[in-house]
Amino acid sequence: MTQPRFLRSARITAAGLAVGALMLTGCSATVNKSGTSSSTSDNTNAMLTIPREDMSTFDRNFNPFAPAVNPMVNQAIYEPLLVFNPAKGDTTPWLATEWKTAADGKSITFTLRDGVKWSDGKPLVADDVAYTFELQKKLKGGYEYLVGATAEGTNKVTFTFNKPWSPALYEVGQLPILPKHIWSAIADPAKDANATPVGTGPYTEVDSFQAQSYTLKKNPNYWQPEKQKIAGIKMLAMSGNDAANLASVNGDVDWSTQFIPNIEKTFISKDKEHRHYWFPPTGAMINWQLNTTKAPFNDPKVRKALSMAVDRDQVTKIGMSGYAQPADCTGLSGNYEKWKNPAVKDNCSWTKLNVDEANKVLDEAGYPKGADGKRTLKDGTPFEFKISVGASSSDWLSVANVISQNLQAVGVTAKVDSPDWASVVAGYEQGTFDSGIVWSANDPSPFKYFNNAMGSATVKPVGTKTFDNYHRFGDPKADALLQDFVAAGDEAKQKDVAYKLQEEYNDAAPLVPLFSGPEWGDYTDVHFTGWPSQDNPYATLSDRSPTTVLILTTLEPRK
Amino acid sequence: MRFILRRLGFYLIAFWASITLNFLLPRFMPGDPVSRMFARTQGKMQPEQIDALRKLLGVDDRPIWEQYIDYLHNIVTGNMGISISRFPAPVTEVIAAQIGWTLLLGGTALVIAAVAGNLLGILAAWRRGGAIDSALPPVLIFIGSFPYFWLAMGALYLFGVILGWSPLRHAFSDGAEPGFTSEFLSDVGAHLVLPALTIVLVSIGGWMLGMRNTMIATNSEDYITMAEAKGLRPGRIMFRYAARNAMLPSVTSFGMSLGFVVGGAMLTEVVFAYPGVGYQLLNAVQGLDYPLMQGLFLTITAAVLLANFMVDVLYVRLDPRVRNN
Repeated sequence: MTQPRFLRSARITAAGLAVGALMLTGCSATVNKSGTSSSTSDNTNAMLTIPREDMSTFDRNFNPFAPAVNPMVNQAIYEPLLVFNPAKGDTTPWLATEWKTAADGKSITFTLRDGVKWSDGKPLVADDVAYTFELQKKLKGGYEYLVGATAEGTNKVTFTFNKPWSPALYEVGQLPILPKHIWSAIADPAKDANATPVGTGPYTEVDSFQAQSYTLKKNPNYWQPEKQKIAGIKMLAMSGNDAANLASVNGDVDWSTQFIPNIEKTFISKDKEHRHYWFPPTGAMINWQLNTTKAPFNDPKVRKALSMAVDRDQVTKIGMSGYAQPADCTGLSGNYEKWKNPAVKDNCSWTKLNVDEANKVLDEAGYPKGADGKRTLKDGTPFEFKISVGASSSDWLSVANVISQNLQAVGVTAKVDSPDWASVVAGYEQGTFDSGIVWSANDPSPFKYFNNAMGSATVKPVGTKTFDNYHRFGDPKADALLQDFVAAGDEAKQKDVAYKLQEEYNDAAPLVPLFSGPEWGDYTDVHFTGWPSQDNPYATLSDRSPTTVLILTTLEPRK
Repeated sequence: MRFILRRLGFYLIAFWASITLNFLLPRFMPGDPVSRMFARTQGKMQPEQIDALRKLLGVDDRPIWEQYIDYLHNIVTGNMGISISRFPAPVTEVIAAQIGWTLLLGGTALVIAAVAGNLLGILAAWRRGGAIDSALPPVLIFIGSFPYFWLAMGALYLFGVILGWSPLRHAFSDGAEPGFTSEFLSDVGAHLVLPALTIVLVSIGGWMLGMRNTMIATNSEDYITMAEAKGLRPGRIMFRYAARNAMLPSVTSFGMSLGFVVGGAMLTEVVFAYPGVGYQLLNAVQGLDYPLMQGLFLTITAAVLLANFMVDVLYVRLDPRVRNN
């Protein structure tokens, strides 16, 4: 799920209302607008139309360093060295044709593709890649393991690290590359609007830019011109899910990724033949995080017992409209399918609903049930705590409510606390919260997930701000494994370590994994065909992820 | 004149108080813009990038009084800083680009609602118990008490989707060439009708009832009976004698509403994807974009105070009693 939660969630409630309105005002009316079915006229000139539900107006700013980057800047204008596709777990070489990790794991050398040109006709050279990373580190920081990127000749670039760091391949490989000859001439690259971008991507030419819409047309010098089959991309600004949903329902847009409630009825049923959706569970794992600096959450038995009391089927069905898939005890979302340890996955106990066992574990661990059916902690105080979720996230709020109800069966009182997201997050960052529904890292490699879930390096004391590992759990055994993981030279070795990490996760239960976040996506193939699907998962249906460029170079006009 | 000067002094103090609140309120909210941005991306940003981003966006760590002095200085010089949520666009540019649409939509809707509502109120009170008086108020209050969101969505679905009479979104058609041509202006007009109409529908009832009630009181005044006894034409009595005196509260609320138009109609903008400042304000608040929030609040404050001041001045003309106060 790529939409920012603050923005998206604020509108889910509203979307519900909107759908109510749609139904009341005559859901049965068929869509009779010209945009959809009648325009078979000439799809070769049709624009791939996409709404952007979180931007009410666009600025003519195509700077990839902007905090709120314009849509398609990193998808259609600038391209990365490689593209990782979480739907299938494969990697497509893109601007680089091959790469090689050094034997000591402390460097990677990429070989650039021949014949790639920038949209202004100049060739892509290794120096561009090196410069991009220099600029990225200077303006946005991060990449602390990266010592530098050096160009060797025109088509080879070597990244050197200060320690063996295997997750680097995807982090380095997926950063969109910028042209040095343009950016080195810009006085202040952080603030420049880059109004006429020059990139290697398939659609780079900004056309008819207006505050609420703009078009990107074909890059005249694209390196795979045979794949530029669509005429261009048109972005529409929408101030919220409702406006975007109306556009989708009415068939005014080809592809959208905002949340549509009850999608079968509101969207698909209007044109069953052409409209489709696909929600692969490749989003981040959504966890119920228990603050392990507080009793009783410092007790792994309690964490497991609470987890066993949660009915994940109910959570996904009621809370997530059935769009998400329940988690298992590897803690990994559908994004990491190929990393999952079958031995752990097939023998899950604590992520399956088992109220009797949960009661038994809590009894044995010393949290007795009183006469009123409510448990007490070891110091005699009631077993009570809060689940914090931002008030605007109606979906996660219902998740928290389901959990709260589930816990009654084991005599535990959980109160759902829903102030503004900002104060919820402030509580997470300071470590003052009891528990909360929290997203997690979603990378090609599971390193970050496990590092944030149980790496001691990410643990900060309560009161010190942290931006990951809110639950503050560190595990020396996991630390050693994480060390092995980053030092592992090839993927087979990494997988081996990842298996062990999952065993440790299964033992320690640092978090209570709930469900894999879905990556929303729906489309109509009236104008364009060649969309990814369950049967052909060459990309996810996201319009703002690294795989988007794969879709842009696959779609073709319907004949 | 003394009255106006005294009012002016009052407005200056009110202005200072509100800009100080504008400064303090956002800073009392928990978190800072960068950690909000981080939380928004949900793990897609690296924690190591936070410091760099803070520096890039110029997030202030100075003592609050230093920031306050800077803030006052900036207001005086008209320098509102750079928006954080729409970095690197200056706040003035963000507001300038969108306030026109807000004023067009809000202003049109307000003028139509106030004029039509007041006229209906006058007629209803003049013919008490007549068709207008008995049928319209309940209907309008009924419509006005609908959740606005529902009403707007319903109207959009009915007139936009089913009947196809109205465009579904935006202030003008995608790709239309902005300019003072009749084509473009009629395109803007077509996009304005439904959003403005929905606002008029929910607000007209209030105007009508307010006017009707004061007008009924005025109608029982002796000078009306006197005018009737003199044999003046009913239309003249209705407008020149009764309505003119019943008008004063409406003028006050019109001034107030005029000031608040600047704040934008957030829900209308959300439903019709209209490019006003209301939605921008919501985003600024959610993202803790201090500069943009301050800029918008300042604009709203200034507009409300200005509108009130104009009403005060107008009152001096309309109501002689104020002058002797």
